[in-house]
Amino acid sequence: MADKILKKADLGKLIESVTGKGGRFVAPTTDSRQIVFKKVKSAEEIATDYILARNSFKEFLFPQTEVVAEFTLGKDTVDMRGVEVHAPQTVIFGARPCEAASLKGMHALFTWDFIDEFYTKREDNTVVVTVGCTKADDACFCTTVNLSPASTEGADVYLREAGESYTVEAITDKGKKFVEAHAAVFGSGSVKADPLVMPEKIANIDLAKVSERLKDKTHYDDKVWPKLTRKCIGCGACTFVCPTCRCFDIVDEGTAFEGERRKNWDSCQYDTFTLHASGHNPREHQHQRWRNRFMCKFNFFPEKFSGKGCVGCGRCVRVCPVRLDITEVMEEFSK
Amino acid sequence: MEKTLRLKAKELLESGEVKVVIGYGWNRSKTRTTPVFITDPADVDTLVWNPLCVNNLSLYLTRKYKEIKALGRPAIVAKGCDIRNIVVLITEGQFKREDVFIIGMTCNGTVYKQDLWKGELTPNIMPTKCHNCDVRNPHVTDFVVGEKSTFTPPEVPTGMVYDKVKDLDSKSQSERWAFWVKEFSRCVKCYACRQVCPLCYCERCITEKNMPQWIETSAHPRGNLSWNLTRAMHLVGRCTFCGECERSCPVNIPLNLINQKMIGVVKEAFDFKSGYDEKTHPPMIVFSPDDKENFIK
Repeated sequence: MADKILKKADLGKLIESVTGKGGRFVAPTTDSRQIVFKKVKSAEEIATDYILARNSFKEFLFPQTEVVAEFTLGKDTVDMRGVEVHAPQTVIFGARPCEAASLKGMHALFTWDFIDEFYTKREDNTVVVTVGCTKADDACFCTTVNLSPASTEGADVYLREAGESYTVEAITDKGKKFVEAHAAVFGSGSVKADPLVMPEKIANIDLAKVSERLKDKTHYDDKVWPKLTRKCIGCGACTFVCPTCRCFDIVDEGTAFEGERRKNWDSCQYDTFTLHASGHNPREHQHQRWRNRFMCKFNFFPEKFSGKGCVGCGRCVRVCPVRLDITEVMEEFSK
Repeated sequence: MEKTLRLKAKELLESGEVKVVIGYGWNRSKTRTTPVFITDPADVDTLVWNPLCVNNLSLYLTRKYKEIKALGRPAIVAKGCDIRNIVVLITEGQFKREDVFIIGMTCNGTVYKQDLWKGELTPNIMPTKCHNCDVRNPHVTDFVVGEKSTFTPPEVPTGMVYDKVKDLDSKSQSERWAFWVKEFSRCVKCYACRQVCPLCYCERCITEKNMPQWIETSAHPRGNLSWNLTRAMHLVGRCTFCGECERSCPVNIPLNLINQKMIGVVKEAFDFKSGYDEKTHPPMIVFSPDDKENFIK
């Protein structure tokens, strides 16, 4: 039986087909000496030889900074105005199966006790096309968190490398519609997919045990936290590249009389994240902030939203200036 | 060298002369080095020394690390370039010379970023600072590990950073402006550059002061520019060109260009290079009656 395929040579046509209808096409591309997700206009810009983009594609659903309202202050009045959600039709191409698995949790959070239209409207208009991995590095650990390059969770369309083509599998209805809408670009044929590269499961990690141990809050003041994480320098790089980190801060910017209200990425690794107006900080030390991030990944978040707190993409490990490896902490908590 | 280092660390911890040795160790897969804090003499074999030891560990001596301070008197494994930062911290009154035991490592250079390591240190993977290093034999130490280096830096500093600074200097103001606006546009305001900098030791950074908000926290062009300019200005006459900020930047902003430019300006105006003598104060924090500027008198 002939399968649906996408010839790599036809990527340009797919981009045209998407952008021609007014959409944006986001793909991994080389910028400033590294691979990043960016809006692209032509197939030549797309990187093919990469493990994972440095940034996660979350910024196309949940931008680093966005205006959520505008205000004008009068003598006795405050005029607050909503703004249109900028939610163009978007195709995220070349995402990896690990990062796509973050979407379920993202959705759960942004629709939790309040529907955040700034997220949901973009999500509705976004098609995520993942490509199974044919390369991995020593920071990859998807298999350790029960995902793999073959996972289709969160993907609308799942591709696999097959020489000069991709095999195409539409996963969701949105994905099927996408393939139909651009039917002229997709072909059919019989191609053999290249083998996927499975990162080795880290032997001493047992995810169930990690969750179990974190449930018992007696670990809270355990000396193991400062011991393992004392080198953390408290930058927010790990949280900013993480596909599942989604904390934000609301700030007002402008002059004395008018301005805009913005939703900006925030990071639990900053000491100001929990600093109270009184001056008290419940997470005074860096290891407590680190513990919070780890708890969020493997305890609070999965329990509350049954989504994945960590997808094993390894971005935090790669980007960390002091190489604080989350899997080494997972190992400790698997004992 | 590792053997000597470990022996010294053991001796220091056993005698109680220091309570913690701040050094480098391997990650699990032994592909990258990572900072380690050795408090038990039995753990000294964790310490390693190789060209992957890029981190400037003097960061952990600053006041931000109260928990490390609480461990007791530290010994630090430091390259000459790291020692320059320790010297600046001493001149700025952050601690006294005797508060830290400096294990100086003679150094033949490190890699620019650890990911570049393919098993051999070649000139093309070394940062500009290493090619022009005049402290391969560490200059302020309590103990030195390693054979004396015979390397002499070139008379006129060379390398990518200097070339690029020269290139930028030759451009018009508007071109330079366009260059930096583009570079800063990638900034995600993660503040890794600040957090990794041993000289950014303020407990409350100006970016965190929000009554009023001096620097907008948004990662838009105005916010990014004000942050990056402020960071640069606060390091004038202090920065030692250790390069940690650029190494840590997740979006590859060429911060070394700014740092080196500032260093050049300070050198020209005050004939001063930071981090060589713990008894000389940096030009921005001293008043001298023979200052050549009249307005200050």
